[in-house]
Amino acid sequence: MIEALFTFGLNHRRLVALLVILITLPLGYGVTKLEIDTSFNSLIPADEPEKLAYQSAMDEFGSDNKTIIYVRDKNLWTARKLARLDHIVRELKDLDHVYRVDSLFNLRIIKGTPGEDGQPVISTELVIDDLPTDDISAADAQLRAQANPLYVGNLFSEDGYVTAIIVTVNDVNDQEDFSLEVYRQFEQLLEKERDHFERIFQVGPPRINAELQESLASDFTVLGPLSAIVLVASILFFMRSVLAAIIPLVTSVLAILWTFGLMGWLGIPLNILSAMIPSLIIVIGSTEDTHMMAAFFRGLAEQNTNEGRPTTAQRHQAIKYMAKHTGLPMLLTVLTTFLGFAANLFGDIVLIQHFAFASTTAILFNGIVTVLVVPPLLAKFGRKIGEGKSAEELYGNNLPDQIISTFRISQDRFPLVVLSLTGLLCAFFTYQASNLYVTNDPLSYFPEDRELIQETKTIHEDLAGIKVFFVTLEADNTNAFLQTSNLQKLNKIQAFIRKQNVFDTTLSIVDHLKYVNKEFQGDFAADTLPQSRQLVAQYLMFFHRSELESYVSHDYRQANIIVRHNISDSHTLNQYVDELKDFVSHISGDGIRARVVGENLLVNQAAESLMVSQIQALALLLTLIFVLMSIMFTSLKGGAIAMIPSVIPIVLMFGIMGLVGIPLNPGTAMVAVIAVGIAIDGTIHLLAHYNELCRTTSDYEGAVHKAVQEVATPLIVSSLALSLGFGILLFSNFTVVAQFGALAAATMLISIFANLLITPIIMTRIRLVGLYQIIAMKVDQKVLEESPLFTDMSNYERRKAILISEIHEFSAGEKLVRQGDIGRNMYMILSGSAKVERRDGEAVRELAKLRPGQVFGEVGYIRAIERTADVVASTPVTALNFEYHRMQKDLKFFPNIVAKLNFNISGILGERLADVLDSK
Amino acid sequence: MRLIPALLFLAISLPSSGSDAVVNMNGAELMEAVYQRHKQFPYVYEEQSMILIDQRGNKNTRKLRRYSRVSKDGGADFLLLFDSPLDVRGVALIAHRDKAGVARQSFYLPAYGSTFLESHADHDGQSEDHFLGTDFSIENLIGEMLDHHRHLRRDDEVINETEFYVIDTFESGDESLVPLRRHYVRKDHLFVTRTDHFDELGRLKKRQTHHDLVNVHGEMWRANMMMMDNFQQAHRTVIKIDRRVFSADYVPEDVFTRKWILSNQAPLSDEDDSEAYLAEAGDEL
Repeated sequence: MIEALFTFGLNHRRLVALLVILITLPLGYGVTKLEIDTSFNSLIPADEPEKLAYQSAMDEFGSDNKTIIYVRDKNLWTARKLARLDHIVRELKDLDHVYRVDSLFNLRIIKGTPGEDGQPVISTELVIDDLPTDDISAADAQLRAQANPLYVGNLFSEDGYVTAIIVTVNDVNDQEDFSLEVYRQFEQLLEKERDHFERIFQVGPPRINAELQESLASDFTVLGPLSAIVLVASILFFMRSVLAAIIPLVTSVLAILWTFGLMGWLGIPLNILSAMIPSLIIVIGSTEDTHMMAAFFRGLAEQNTNEGRPTTAQRHQAIKYMAKHTGLPMLLTVLTTFLGFAANLFGDIVLIQHFAFASTTAILFNGIVTVLVVPPLLAKFGRKIGEGKSAEELYGNNLPDQIISTFRISQDRFPLVVLSLTGLLCAFFTYQASNLYVTNDPLSYFPEDRELIQETKTIHEDLAGIKVFFVTLEADNTNAFLQTSNLQKLNKIQAFIRKQNVFDTTLSIVDHLKYVNKEFQGDFAADTLPQSRQLVAQYLMFFHRSELESYVSHDYRQANIIVRHNISDSHTLNQYVDELKDFVSHISGDGIRARVVGENLLVNQAAESLMVSQIQALALLLTLIFVLMSIMFTSLKGGAIAMIPSVIPIVLMFGIMGLVGIPLNPGTAMVAVIAVGIAIDGTIHLLAHYNELCRTTSDYEGAVHKAVQEVATPLIVSSLALSLGFGILLFSNFTVVAQFGALAAATMLISIFANLLITPIIMTRIRLVGLYQIIAMKVDQKVLEESPLFTDMSNYERRKAILISEIHEFSAGEKLVRQGDIGRNMYMILSGSAKVERRDGEAVRELAKLRPGQVFGEVGYIRAIERTADVVASTPVTALNFEYHRMQKDLKFFPNIVAKLNFNISGILGERLADVLDSK
Repeated sequence: MRLIPALLFLAISLPSSGSDAVVNMNGAELMEAVYQRHKQFPYVYEEQSMILIDQRGNKNTRKLRRYSRVSKDGGADFLLLFDSPLDVRGVALIAHRDKAGVARQSFYLPAYGSTFLESHADHDGQSEDHFLGTDFSIENLIGEMLDHHRHLRRDDEVINETEFYVIDTFESGDESLVPLRRHYVRKDHLFVTRTDHFDELGRLKKRQTHHDLVNVHGEMWRANMMMMDNFQQAHRTVIKIDRRVFSADYVPEDVFTRKWILSNQAPLSDEDDSEAYLAEAGDEL
């Protein structure tokens, strides 16, 4: 079946070509429909229950889509600079999409001054009504502005050198390139002002979104081609074949086109993670092609030992050889890689789900394209590769040989030392992994030295962090937050936040009331709240609703504290927010529901679910692979051993992350599952080869070495190509993608060490039988059923018994057993016939004829004595060889089957003894 | 000195609104004609509902009484007295404008104590836009001084089949092309039913409209509902006149004194357990 699958493209070239065209055309058109998503929404789980609370807080207390325009100048409060600022504010107000501009030009203060009768005179005034015409009136305006404690730290720096213009933008997210347009409009305006102020820049959602989009586009256009170059270069270096370098590109490009086309049709957008899919597919997809082509070349080389062009028949034969030797492992590796990427589908974060869908689809498409397209391409162009080259020459480079010979010394001489050291290494890195922390902050996606991040820090240092969250309290009754007891609760929460000493500022209705109270009552009332509910309500009459709407609902049933901060580490933020939640819940009491919400918090809280979902995905994938491998090699041990080369790189990777301080984020969180999916590929190829070799030799160590020798080149080539390909991601504009690339590259390199050094040591201690071999075995059922060797064994056990034995083929006239030889083995004839002949001088006497199912040589198997007769093949014979020492070894690997075989051999011997006695 | 009070107009006999005399008037003359026709009545008592509506349509309703009285020396007194919500009951704003047009105002907050708080508009002596959380300014309350402004007539307009004279008002001495306000005066009875307020860039900031017009005497009209739409703050204030009385008896001279205000205060309620509060909360729910 596998052969049929792999030769389908070869046998139906036109149909395949038509199929590829018919799929490519509509999906190619779908690419034009592909959308880009850089919204923060995709960082939040779709079913996040807190999302509703956040949305409700937004509805009640207003949008948080605010851009801060930072202006620094030591002469800020002069008539000339204020006039420029006024100009900027006016132009901002004129821009499309701008809903509101808060600046020092619409700030109002309430001021109490002692009157003639000693009673306060209350004035409410704008900080700047008419533009100051001289520096003295500008300085007066500064005094007025700084008299209001609500603005200092939020809109002005204490030293008076910095001010912020806060621009609220209408929420029209559905408009394509909206953020980019708004950002550019702001930037165009600010560009003209850069000569007028020491420093002026914008930070806010439009800029962050715009930079995400620009960086994503840049990643998309740069990383794919770079990966392609690296792939071609590495394959050329290792395999010395232009075609071997081109074929993976053809399959990858088709798979990428199909994937993005399907995404376009399904409305699944491209995000910062899926932008690296071209790189991933070019690199990962190439591994299958490399293994396939290596097998094809081997198939050609084995037929074409003499110099000369291979014939069409030889190329077709090489493709069959390829299908036979790499077909099943390749399908399995596609499946495991597919599972690795698919495991991410179970995460809650939309960003990762979309990436998981895209990558899983791409892997699947790449597998399909490879199976359909590579065989006909090799059949067409393959002759140019194998021409005139020996098998060794085909793999020209000796780097893999050097690596495996170095490893072999360690394997042969110090296997236990290697295993112990590996164990210690894993223990050390497991300990280091305990330092791992998690983060999902969108700003942490950018590198630390990026201007955006530096400017965000500047705003934080001079004013307050740009990140915002809300503490909302909701009572059952209207007017609840006119009551002083509830206002005190808000006051205590703010005091607690200040005590936590990690957040920058808090602002609530309490601050507004304290401010008015001080102005009405005098300095002695500073920092105190009004004493009665009526006074609260009457003070609040001095504010317009627009000044209060961010802090209290119109019916005074809900109140809101706005907290600004600059924490990027999700774990730290979540820790302090949890602490705050506990306090808020404790202080709010009965009848008041308290929530701590914010888009920023939702995004950061998603980090925790990111951790949990990735652990679940990893556990699920490892379990699946364990089950799959156990079934494939009909052994739980086989399943467990197959896991080792996957688990070691993951342990080391998490350890490295903990050691060097790389956080778990949406990029790095995926490395583990993807790496398992890819690293297992090499193990499957290795185990499959070893298993196959074990059928023809009882020298298991030799079989291991040979399997390693055969698999090493494609494994090392593909792993190095993968490392280099992933390494390309270091050029990404996003830290998360670069970290993903670095870790994935490191993991691929570690997997070489695990696959070629550790796995072989363990492999020599096991013996596996492939389920597919059992199923695919072609034997005469009747022969097996009638053979005394397989008495009381199930069909499955008989087939497995055959597979753990050696299979030998003899031509007619060839001697299977030679009289006088000492051999500790016995045979069972599977097909053909043989005769038993005793030589007595020149005379030869035929003692018996042997037919399929019959066993001979059983005495030698039990005891090392001379063979008493020759066994000669009358026709071509296929026979199973049961070698005593090998069977003793296999007893520990397959105790049930070997025990049954031994029991049946005893029975055969007993029969023989009885026959001898009868004849006497 | 003459005023165009936004909230209260009275009228004396004037040329008919459609006559050639009116048609050919310039801006200042037309505003003068409006003033003359709807001249302020000396004694007005009103019971009003003030409804504050935010951008999400949430409403807060206040009940208040408004007293106004023109004194013999040409000055005018105004008093706004809040009756509900209970928390602001008794809050009073007293304003006095002398014959030169200079205004003074003070607040009384019952919860603050028996002190009257003198209030200044701002450091320039201008009235600010938000009076007691409304979208009206104090200037809207006590009236606009005609002589303090320059009026420029624009082309007439027809809106919803109603004909209007259009007059732009500028700060006196200000040669700017951007008007402070644009008045829409109905041709049929010379009543200002719409006033657009502009910011310094000439963009529409607020729109004041008058509705439910009633002919109260001769050619004198009044609006029973006034609405101010604040486009910048996405907020609206509606003032509905529940009752209006033109009578000196309702507006005695001493009503504008601190003594009268203090002696007409309801006792303060307990903060949390007042049945009145609960009843009020129930009404709002």
